[in-house]
Amino acid sequence: MSDMAIATNPEQQRALERFYFREARLLDNRQYQQWLALVTEDIQYRLPARVNVQVDNRERGTEQMLSVERELEGADSMGCPIREENYIHLMLRVERAFKINSWSENPPARTRRIVGNVELMHRSGERHTVLSNFHLYYSRPGSASFLYSGQRRDVLLAANTDDFRLQQREVILDYADIDLPTLGLFF
Amino acid sequence: MNYRVSDLVNDDASLISRRCWTDADVYGLEKKGIFGRAWLFLGHESQIREPGDFVQAYMCETPVILSRGQDMQIYANINSCSHRGLPVCRADHGNTKRFICPYHNWSYAVDGALVSIPQESAVRNKPDKSQLGLKRVPRVESWRGLVFGSFDPDIIPLETYLGDMRFYLDAFIDRFPQGIEFMGSPHRWQLDANWKLPVENQLGDVNHGAFLHSAIIPREAQDLIEELGYSVVTAPGHGATFRLMPVDAPIDEIAWGMEGMGGMFGGAEVQDYLREVQTTAMERVGPIRARMKGLTYGVYPNLSFLWSNASFKVSHPRGPGKVEYWSWAVVPADAPDAIKQVLRTNYSSFFGPGGILEQEDSEVWVQQFRGSNIDFADDRPYYYGLGLGEEKPHAELPGLVSVTANEFYARHFFARWRDELLAVEGQL
Repeated sequence: MSDMAIATNPEQQRALERFYFREARLLDNRQYQQWLALVTEDIQYRLPARVNVQVDNRERGTEQMLSVERELEGADSMGCPIREENYIHLMLRVERAFKINSWSENPPARTRRIVGNVELMHRSGERHTVLSNFHLYYSRPGSASFLYSGQRRDVLLAANTDDFRLQQREVILDYADIDLPTLGLFF
Repeated sequence: MNYRVSDLVNDDASLISRRCWTDADVYGLEKKGIFGRAWLFLGHESQIREPGDFVQAYMCETPVILSRGQDMQIYANINSCSHRGLPVCRADHGNTKRFICPYHNWSYAVDGALVSIPQESAVRNKPDKSQLGLKRVPRVESWRGLVFGSFDPDIIPLETYLGDMRFYLDAFIDRFPQGIEFMGSPHRWQLDANWKLPVENQLGDVNHGAFLHSAIIPREAQDLIEELGYSVVTAPGHGATFRLMPVDAPIDEIAWGMEGMGGMFGGAEVQDYLREVQTTAMERVGPIRARMKGLTYGVYPNLSFLWSNASFKVSHPRGPGKVEYWSWAVVPADAPDAIKQVLRTNYSSFFGPGGILEQEDSEVWVQQFRGSNIDFADDRPYYYGLGLGEEKPHAELPGLVSVTANEFYARHFFARWRDELLAVEGQL
C-alpha cells in the first residue's frame, strides 16, 4: 500500500465522509440495529492489544524503532488481541444493548465522536481500504468522563459509490494504561 | 487505626464490615499480613522460555521482573535500581542481556546481579557490587509451569501451600498432553474497586451469573450449573466451582473449550482437536476429573482461573479503592498455532477489558466500592451467611463441598484474611 492516499475527486471523498458521519451519528444516537445493517455478515472486527515493547538496538535511528506496528498484538500474532469479533459477536452486543439488564450501560453512556482524517488508501473493484481517526467522548452517570482516541483501518465494500458496507475494521486505540471503563464499545 | 480487626469480620465470617473494602489502615495491614507473607503469582514458564527472556509482574504494588537467567534458572527481582530506585526495566516483556537504569546507567544482568557502575572508575573506593544487585524476591518456586514468589523467606513450600488445589488445577492443566501456555502479554486495566471483590467473584461466586449477566447468559445455563454444580474449598481462600457432568454425557457437552465462542464457531478442525483432548483426558486425569467442567477457581490471596473462558487473572491492589486487573489467555501447549489463535477468543469474547460479560462485572466491582465507601452505615455489615455450615466433606472430591449458592468460599476467605490481619494488627 502506498503511503499516500488516493487523490480522490471531491465526490468520492464526500461519499466516504457521508458514510462515516452517518455511522458516527447512528452510534451516538444508540441506533445500533441500524448500525449493524452497515456491516457485512463476514465482517472481521478487531482491536489489537497494545504493549510497551523493548527497543531493538539494531533498529536505532530508524523509523522502524518507533513504529506503532511493533506495539500491536493483532489477529495474526501469537499474542492476544483485546477483541477479535465476527458478526455474531456484534449481533450479541447490539441485542445486549437493548436489554434493560445490560447494567454497565444502564443508564446508558452519553457519547459523541468526531471522525476525521478520512483517507482512501487503496481501491480494487468494490474493495476500499480506508483510514480514519476518531475522538470519542464518553460519559456515564456517577462516573468520570473519558476520552477514547484511535485510528480505524477499514475495508469498505461498495457496489455503487454511495452504498458502502463495512467488511473489516481494525481499531488502534491510543491507550498506554487502560484506565477506561470498557473497551467493549462500537468504535 | 480506627477499627479493630476482630470487629471487621465476625467469628463465623458471616458478617463483613464495609471498612474491609475501603479503609487505608486495613489496606496497610493487608500489605503486611498477606502480601508480605503469601505465595503470589508471578507468571507462567511459557512466557520466559529462553535465557534472557523477561516479563513484568507485580507483588501487590511492588514491581517485579520475572526472568530466565543465562543458567536457565528462573529469577524474580524487584524492578528498582539500587542507586536511586528507578525501574531498570521499562518494557512489558522481551529478551535482554542487561537491564540498564536510565539515570546513571548502572546495569544489571538478567538474574539481577549488578554488572557495572559507569562512574566507578573515577573514584578510589570501589563499591562492593556483589551487595548491590537488584533486591531478589527471596522465594521463587513453580508448579506445573505456574511461577510464584514470596517475600517471606520462611514460607512453606509452594506445593504444600497449594495443597489440594493441585487436584483441581490438574483437572485442567493435565487435561492437555503438554499442559498449558499463556498467550502474549496480559491485558491489564484499572478499576476504581477494591482488590478483594474480583477475587471473591472468581473464587466461587457463580451465583450472580443468571442475574447480573442475564442480558447474555440464559436461565437454562444457570439451571444446569445448579443441577450439576459443586463448590469446593480445599483450604481457606482456595476454592473451585465446577460441573460434574453425567457419565453418559455427550463428548461435546463435556469437552473443554466447546462452550466458548472459539469452540462453537472456530470450525471442524478446532472441534476435532477439542474432542481428541477429551477422548484421552481420562488417561491423564482419571475418571472423575475427566467429567469435570470447571467454572471459577481461586488461589489465595489474589490469583484466579476461569476454566470456562480459559484465563488466569490476578487482582493487583493499587490502594483500597483501586485495582489493576491482569488477565492472560490460556491455551493448550500442544495445539497448532492456528488452533491457539481461535481458542484465545474463548477468553477475549466474553472476558478482558472488551469482554461482553466482563463489562458487567467491572461495573459492579466499581459500584460495590462506591456502596461501601459511605458513612452512617457501619452498623450494617454485609451479609455473608448464605448456606452457613452446610458444607461437608465428599467421598471423591478433596476439600469441603457444597452447592454453589453456599457462600462458604467467601466466609473461609475472610476467616483467613482476619487471622492474617490479626497476626500483624499491632505492627502498623
